[in-house]
Amino acid sequence: MNAGIAQLQMQFRDYTISLYQQGFLDDQFTELKKLQDDGSPDFVAEVLLLFFEDCVKLIGNMARALDKSTGTVDFSQVGASVHQLKGSSSSVGAKRVKGLCVTFKEYCEAQNYEGCVRCLQQVDIEYKTLKTKLQDMFNLEKQIVQAGGVVPQVDID
Amino acid sequence: MTMEQELEVLDQFPVGMRVLAVDDDQTCLRILQNLLHRCQYHVTTTNQAQTALELLRDNKNKFDLVISDVDMPDMDGFKLLELVGLEMDLPVIMLSAHSDHKYVMKGVKHGACDYLLKPVRIEELKNIWQHVVRKSKLKKNKSSVSYGFENEGKANRKRKDQFEEEEEEERGNENDDPTAQKKPRVLWTRELHNKFLVAVDHLGVEKAVPKKILDLMNVDKLTRENVASHLQKFRLALKKITYEANQQANRAAIDSHLMQMSSLKGLGSSFHHHQRPIHVGSGQFHGGGATMMRHYPSNTTLGRLNSLSGGMFQPVSSSFPRNHNDVGGNILQGMPLPPLDELHINNNKTFPNFTPQQSSLMVAPNNLLALEGHQQSSSPSLNPGFSPHLEMNKRLEHWSNAVLSTNIPQSDVHSKPEALEWNMFCDSASPLINTNLDTDSRSFGRNTDFGSSNATQTEFFNPLQMNQQPENNAGPMTEAQLFRSSNPKEGLVMEQQKLQSGFMASDAGSLDDIFNSVMAQEQSQSDFSEGDLGFGLFGSLGTCI
Repeated sequence: MNAGIAQLQMQFRDYTISLYQQGFLDDQFTELKKLQDDGSPDFVAEVLLLFFEDCVKLIGNMARALDKSTGTVDFSQVGASVHQLKGSSSSVGAKRVKGLCVTFKEYCEAQNYEGCVRCLQQVDIEYKTLKTKLQDMFNLEKQIVQAGGVVPQVDID
Repeated sequence: MTMEQELEVLDQFPVGMRVLAVDDDQTCLRILQNLLHRCQYHVTTTNQAQTALELLRDNKNKFDLVISDVDMPDMDGFKLLELVGLEMDLPVIMLSAHSDHKYVMKGVKHGACDYLLKPVRIEELKNIWQHVVRKSKLKKNKSSVSYGFENEGKANRKRKDQFEEEEEEERGNENDDPTAQKKPRVLWTRELHNKFLVAVDHLGVEKAVPKKILDLMNVDKLTRENVASHLQKFRLALKKITYEANQQANRAAIDSHLMQMSSLKGLGSSFHHHQRPIHVGSGQFHGGGATMMRHYPSNTTLGRLNSLSGGMFQPVSSSFPRNHNDVGGNILQGMPLPPLDELHINNNKTFPNFTPQQSSLMVAPNNLLALEGHQQSSSPSLNPGFSPHLEMNKRLEHWSNAVLSTNIPQSDVHSKPEALEWNMFCDSASPLINTNLDTDSRSFGRNTDFGSSNATQTEFFNPLQMNQQPENNAGPMTEAQLFRSSNPKEGLVMEQQKLQSGFMASDAGSLDDIFNSVMAQEQSQSDFSEGDLGFGLFGSLGTCI
């Protein structure tokens, strides 16, 4: 069993590091993890849950704003949603999503419709990817805990 | 909270500091909440700006600090910032994902204590309690020991956030003062001061906060900072006046009794309350302006005071016999100031003779003094002529200070109302404000407006004399009015320097001559720039008389 826990822990560590290395997560995620303690044991999971809810809501706003069938595209409205997504993604450490938002915002300001639509599609894919990856990470954590082990602290350089 | 309570809370800071966090982004809000908890603050969150306002309005003492996002759908964060500053005068920290300089600038201009960029780090939040301490200290200082005029400016600046430096810059730009003043200042003209008083009156002296006052005043280019510093001086002046009024009242009561006993003849002899008893030549009592003047050749302040008091007192003296406990008696004793205070204190029996104008003169100091304690009745402006204007107040202040401290003989008082006024104005505000009335004599020596004051005296005397028997109510009434309308100490202090130049510049009707002469004298003495004073003061003087 111990070997099992150790293995799980190693898996967890490697997986987490890879997320950072692949640019899915950044320092802010590390900070977020620091805020999790006995007082708020599921803090990170709670925040990420809220974040993904925000993603759904904001992407929906952007899609509606970019919907030409409703009339002229209101780029400022798109931009406002992008701005908010940028804020929340930066707060949780969702690095790729945040990076996309920066590009997305530029397209909005330039009123580049195609660029905006492309960005919207990418943001949608990106947040879903991140969600899947983080879910895998949380699952590993759960397995470790269920196996009686302690989730290791992963130091990212 | 009382001062003591506030201090206690401060001692425990930052633990338990009550923060209201506002952000429509639930992710950020949740993180912020956790971060604030870790800083050991007490956190309340809402994702609606409107809800936040309601929470704040519900109980103004419920929170110590507000952190708000800038971009919110239901209300612009800057708008919330403004409202919070105006209504509750709480420190507000802005949060935003916008790192643009212009947004930060906007936040600062709207009164934000700080501007944090998302994602917020806990290190930044650990320091936000400083804003609360700073702000509460600022509030406390407003009602505590007065600063010198110069010092006030500096102290205010030190207390200010670095962000607020920008407002000062703005103020500097707004002011076209070409004078040699160290820093440009807003000139608190009579009109401006009146507006200020009206706003403060409307809000209530206790509840008047700079933002609200600024809003009510609705003056272009006037910053909250300007109002804040003006308000501070105003409050300091009030406090001082009240204190001094009380002191004077006590003395006046004694004096009046003495006076009665000694009758007019003994006028000069019984004034030993003050440090420098001044002989009061009974002959000089009435209209001895010229004579008076001579007495204080080098003491413009004193001269002014005298002239002021003289003018005021004159009627009093004449009515002295019948004013037992009148201020008049006190006045005779060369305590113009006290009389005023005493008037208030003694139900204003003291200056029965004061016409509104006169009263205003007298009242100004009284108002200042009695404001806090006695006549809080904020009537509109005492003097139609003088109006609550700064000048009046200043003069009165000087006048009262001078009188109290120097035991100006009656004659002096009578003869040098103008001189006093001018002197008072000329004197730096700080000495005036900071010193006890009893020790104000020092300030008298500054200016030598006697020459001009003579003319002034005449002006003053006439009206005074004519109104020898004003209703006693006039005193208090006018005082209150004066108080309300004028900016007692504050005006004096703040505008001391300005006044000087201002006086010189303006032509106030019948006071033109006086002013001119004063100007000439003051110019030689004053060290402030004329530009500062502006013409508002003078204008009011003119109308007064």
